[in-house]
Amino acid sequence: MSAGTGPSVERLVARTLLAGGLIGMALILVGGAFYAVHGGFHHHAVHLSRPPLGSPAGVFTSLRQVLDGLRRRPMDPLALTALGLVALMATPIIAVALAVPAFLRAGDRRYATIAAIVLTMLVVSLAVAGGIH
Amino acid sequence: MSLTIFSVAVLFTSVGAGAVGSILGLGGGILLVPILTIFYGVDLHYAMGASIISVIATSSGAASYLRTGLSNLRIGLFLVLATISGALVGALLAGVVPVRALELILGLALSYSAFTTVRQLHDELPERLSEDRFALRFDLEGRYHDLRLGREVAYRAQRVAPGFVAMFGAGVLSGMLGIGSGAFKVLAMDYLMRLPMKVSTATSNFMIGLTAAATAGIYWSRGDINVLIAAPVAIGVLAGAYLGTMLMARMRNTTVRKLFLPIVVYLALSMILRGLGIHLR
Repeated sequence: MSAGTGPSVERLVARTLLAGGLIGMALILVGGAFYAVHGGFHHHAVHLSRPPLGSPAGVFTSLRQVLDGLRRRPMDPLALTALGLVALMATPIIAVALAVPAFLRAGDRRYATIAAIVLTMLVVSLAVAGGIH
Repeated sequence: MSLTIFSVAVLFTSVGAGAVGSILGLGGGILLVPILTIFYGVDLHYAMGASIISVIATSSGAASYLRTGLSNLRIGLFLVLATISGALVGALLAGVVPVRALELILGLALSYSAFTTVRQLHDELPERLSEDRFALRFDLEGRYHDLRLGREVAYRAQRVAPGFVAMFGAGVLSGMLGIGSGAFKVLAMDYLMRLPMKVSTATSNFMIGLTAAATAGIYWSRGDINVLIAAPVAIGVLAGAYLGTMLMARMRNTTVRKLFLPIVVYLALSMILRGLGIHLR
């Protein structure tokens, strides 16, 4: 391994990716279970094609929509599933963000810098895309 | 189709895609998009939205590669610098450069890579450690315990400068053509930088998660991610990736390369056809 830093940063990043995956999976499954309990699977056929206007059930385009769905009573179970997907999407970015201080603690300034640049580019491309508002 | 049948069918398909994706470092999009559109009749936009989720899920499901040393965090971060900046440049260039000529060139380049992959099909591991200046400077090395060979394998990247340039190019192309670049990353690491094949695909798994996370926002805000389609994909791919990582740790490097070859050939053909104006999908 490198410059005596050991695999601690690797372990942290691996753990973060794994945890993010499991949290996302859990939210998706709980949302799916609620959806099933509320009869969602019986009422709907899947809309496999995209309507030209408006959002069909199951499409969220902003974090606000997800939060609104969660606050609604009765809660929109698909919003919980969408939250799971958001958790999954945020996971790699969070992992890199945590790697920056971890590299610093391990005394690897060079890779702390590289991870910080990668993180900046990730955030920039999210922001350029309009991203998750 | 009823939602129940659809979800269950997509879930099981995705387990397979996740397993294959995690073994080959591709993220499963290359398999999922055609399956979802052709067999399930899913809209291309929704299929691509689900595919970007599958890439991130593969990367997360394959996290244990980082712990066993098969995936190299430093090599991944170093090379992803090139890929992401390439993708940003590619997104800016989109619409300026003639796409079809590009696809044709890419198809020919991939045909050449397929040819070189055939030539080194039976190389289990690179013979010696490199003394590449950049590899030494940037710590592009590591070791892992190979369960198949039953011993420690130490590796160090060769030809880092051309590898970095190739990664930048892969990023530019993926940004411009809207295609995933997992296969190019694996080729650059295996063929140019002469990393062990398993290290190449495992490290690619980590990298594609990062680049996918950067672009997922675009798909999300365009409304391309349909929860009802992406959720069973995410669950299936995560499960498949956990499974795939266990399988790959016990495979030979040459086996992984043999599984990888048909993907390169398929990509080469589809790119050449696209360049000629014929779309497979």
